[in-house]
Amino acid sequence: MSNYKAVNWNTPENDYAGMFWEQNLRQFWVDTEYIPSKDIDIWKTLAPEIQEAYKRALGGLTLLDTLQSHTGMPKLLDHIDGLQNKAVLSFMCMMEAIHAKSYSTIFTTVATTAEINELFEWVENNKLLQFKAATIDKYYRKLDADKVSNETLFMGLAASVLLETFLFYSGFFMPLWLSGQGQMVASADIIKKIVADESIHGVFVGLLAQDVYKKLPNPEKSKAELVELLMELYENELKYTDELYTEIGLTADVKEYIRYNANKAMMNLGFEEIFEVKAINSIVLNGLNGETTQHDFFSKKSTNYEKSTEVIYLRDEDFQMDADPVF
Amino acid sequence: MVTKKWILLNNEIMVKNDDEFSLHKDKEAVRSYFLDFVNKNTVFFYTLKEKIDYLIEQEYYIDFYQWYTFEQMQEVYDSVYAKKFRFQSFMSAFKFFQSYALRDDSGEKFLERYEDRVVAVSLFLARGDVKQALEYAEMLINQEYQPATPTFLNSGKKRSGELVSCFLDEIGDNLNGIGYAIDSAMKLSSIGGGVSFNLSKIRARGESIKDVEGRAGGVLPIMKILEDTFSYANQLGQRPGAGAVYLNVFHTDIEEFLDCKKINVDEKVRIKSLSIGVVVPDKFMELAEKDEACYLFHPHTVLKQYGKYLDEMDMDEMYEELVTNPAVKKKKVNARHLMVKIAQTQKESGYPYLFFKGNANRGHALKDLGNVKFSNLCTEIMQISDVSDIEIYGTEDKIRYGISCNLGSLNIATVMDNKRIKEAVKTAMRSLTIVSDITNIAMVPSVQKANKELHSVGLGAMNLHGFLAKNFIMYESKEALDFCNVFFMMVNFYSLQSSMEIARERKETFVGFESSEYANGNYFNQYITKDIVPVNDKIAALFEGVEIPTAADWTQLMNDVKEHGVFHAYRLAIAPNQSTSYIMNATASVMPVVDVIEVREYGDSTTYYPMPYLDNDNYFFYKSAYDMDQKNVLRLISVIQKHVDQGISTILHTNTKDTTRDIAKYYIYAHKMGLKSLYYTRTRKAGIDECVSCSV
Repeated sequence: MSNYKAVNWNTPENDYAGMFWEQNLRQFWVDTEYIPSKDIDIWKTLAPEIQEAYKRALGGLTLLDTLQSHTGMPKLLDHIDGLQNKAVLSFMCMMEAIHAKSYSTIFTTVATTAEINELFEWVENNKLLQFKAATIDKYYRKLDADKVSNETLFMGLAASVLLETFLFYSGFFMPLWLSGQGQMVASADIIKKIVADESIHGVFVGLLAQDVYKKLPNPEKSKAELVELLMELYENELKYTDELYTEIGLTADVKEYIRYNANKAMMNLGFEEIFEVKAINSIVLNGLNGETTQHDFFSKKSTNYEKSTEVIYLRDEDFQMDADPVF
Repeated sequence: MVTKKWILLNNEIMVKNDDEFSLHKDKEAVRSYFLDFVNKNTVFFYTLKEKIDYLIEQEYYIDFYQWYTFEQMQEVYDSVYAKKFRFQSFMSAFKFFQSYALRDDSGEKFLERYEDRVVAVSLFLARGDVKQALEYAEMLINQEYQPATPTFLNSGKKRSGELVSCFLDEIGDNLNGIGYAIDSAMKLSSIGGGVSFNLSKIRARGESIKDVEGRAGGVLPIMKILEDTFSYANQLGQRPGAGAVYLNVFHTDIEEFLDCKKINVDEKVRIKSLSIGVVVPDKFMELAEKDEACYLFHPHTVLKQYGKYLDEMDMDEMYEELVTNPAVKKKKVNARHLMVKIAQTQKESGYPYLFFKGNANRGHALKDLGNVKFSNLCTEIMQISDVSDIEIYGTEDKIRYGISCNLGSLNIATVMDNKRIKEAVKTAMRSLTIVSDITNIAMVPSVQKANKELHSVGLGAMNLHGFLAKNFIMYESKEALDFCNVFFMMVNFYSLQSSMEIARERKETFVGFESSEYANGNYFNQYITKDIVPVNDKIAALFEGVEIPTAADWTQLMNDVKEHGVFHAYRLAIAPNQSTSYIMNATASVMPVVDVIEVREYGDSTTYYPMPYLDNDNYFFYKSAYDMDQKNVLRLISVIQKHVDQGISTILHTNTKDTTRDIAKYYIYAHKMGLKSLYYTRTRKAGIDECVSCSV
């Protein structure tokens, strides 16, 4: 019988767990801080096919985040070394649950109950979406054992990165594209917070995966498996994009964007880019940019503020400063 | 729905080639915006006559024929169109057409171009005086002066909102007073006003009502009601209502007040859209510095003991007395910890604003008439106020001063280039005065009374950083301090001279002038002993060909003021002016820029805005506010503040790594440097790339 250990934050386990913990904490938010009801008027002016695509994009995202919080993170957590790494993953797991709830905070604010029910039904019955979830879930389920091989663990982590960094973005495209043109802007605040979270989740899980990858006796085999999985998901994403975006004429832009994010996922895992990407729609690309933006406090809520994680008190010398008038 | 070409082009500015942004794309965006959108959606008229008559007949414009002949109007139109105005950036054009240009009733077609708006504003404010209209028009089309949004947006329109949009009032500590405040909030909000209230007189949570202890709900429930009131009474759904509340730091509800902005807090006590500000008397800063015990007081027990509101007391004088008096209920806190708590709240939400009461009242020209007790939604308005006594039906209310503000901004770069500081300031003061004359907010009598008796206006300035960068001067440099010292002294001089001239013409001063520092001459002390001139050659060169008022001129002005009085109780206030600086293609207010290309999120759009005059030669001079030592910014503001009778909206720009202590140190510095207020604190996030690159 082994002894139980308590997590000791006083001794760093690796170079990055502490930093990711801090960053996660700083980024913490809950959906009810935001005010998507401001978008109700705009929502009513959107064309029905745009509304439909928007709802479905968010519905699809809800499914992915549900999978991630209920299965992905908990399964990975079980097999990851290091109690601090586990702590970071469990924090991320909670955020995934908040994300899953947040999408619905948006569409339940703007849509009627009948539409909402219809949407959830659509999610359950859409083959392409279900394929996405099932494919990823398969790798998570393989972690359902006391001990798993490093190969299995690597693929589990890699699947998670593909989900976070690659699969989400066919859904994110829609709200980012709309908000770049001044529509559904209050709701996009929530989406931008989620994008910021998913980007650190992808990086963190990617780093864990890279650590495992180094230990593999036959890494090329795992890499080949990863590429195969990515291509399988990519084919599915193309069809999913056709289904969601053809009617509103955005298919080509979204596909380009999907390839761009597939590359990012590979880079998070420490590999080369896989697709050649030409120009990404600048509006959406700029929407992804997590940098601080200017906003007018009276007309919208900012996404710039973060939880302050440390409080440092004042000392006597802080009051001694040269404050002579200039002139 | 297809991607809009002009928005795409504007976004493409951010695409980097050889490490340089594609700035030329912005010009293409402007072109596309006009060709593909504005021109296609503008109603065409064959002649000017047809246009004017149509706009009047269809009740878009007021009947300008009551004041002008067609030929007179034509003269103004011709003078404006002759200037061949062009928008310098997509942001300017977009903001103008999105928010200011007159549209037909369907909302789909434009009825005005920029030139037309300028003429309508000029004709409207000149009230039939063609010469005056031509002066206004020249100043506006030169972009030397920009009236605040409500004036620029509504002037000349038949169906329009008010010309002023910023109001302040006190709330009395009883249901009638609170009811009056909520009623005012609703009415002022519905006409597009932002309203600020002083909550400091309200009894704290747990205080007595009708001498039964433990019954009062404190300030938070009132804040909740106000927040809902503002969101309900928006301006015809066009823009959300906005409000602010201030609380004195010595009020026992202060901690609860600050906690309402925390990210993770119970819904019942969370305030999402109401802005908050803290009134900080000198005494508090002193207690923090000395690290002495700090007591917060239950305001109702103070009122019962002394017959005077806590908020109206001079805390330097009364603090010890209140601490000693056992009948005053109090709570002990650590002042430094409270300051850090303010900093923490700012880090998480940008709020609260700080209002340094001592600094705002030191040198206050109306000090014998009353105190400045709090500020407005943008922390630049600082005027006397007094709580009204609101009675039951059938009994006469005792109405005292609320505050109404009426703003406009000079464009520093254009007035300097055109060497027209004097002309622009005087013409601007005339136009602000007219706005005050024709404003009559009868539905809120305390605000009406203040406007009628005090005629306060707030002339500000924008494009400081743009002007400095254009002339290869760093914002944080000594030269910048030198420039501001001279420039704002001149603005002060000409605005006061103009106010005196108006008083002389009309034979009328603001009520209470005789008891002011203007009348006894004290106001002029800093100017009459020594000339204020540029000390730096580079700055002196910028003022070449401009006459700078001397100590002798100030002495003359002092005597003129003694003889004729002053029309405006308050004249200057530097607002943050966001939308209006965009249409002027100016950097906002006197603040430094945040980035060479600003990413601007509005409630309704995301736009990329390259800073005015930016090119590859002067790139270096657009240093981001986030990269500046904030003390340098505060020092510059302290120089300007010496010449501004009201306040200056001052934003702190911090980074994620700045600690609560770093931020609190800025408060201490700002207070010591004599700043009257601090507006938001903005935080630049550390992106994950930055985090990863430094430690992985």
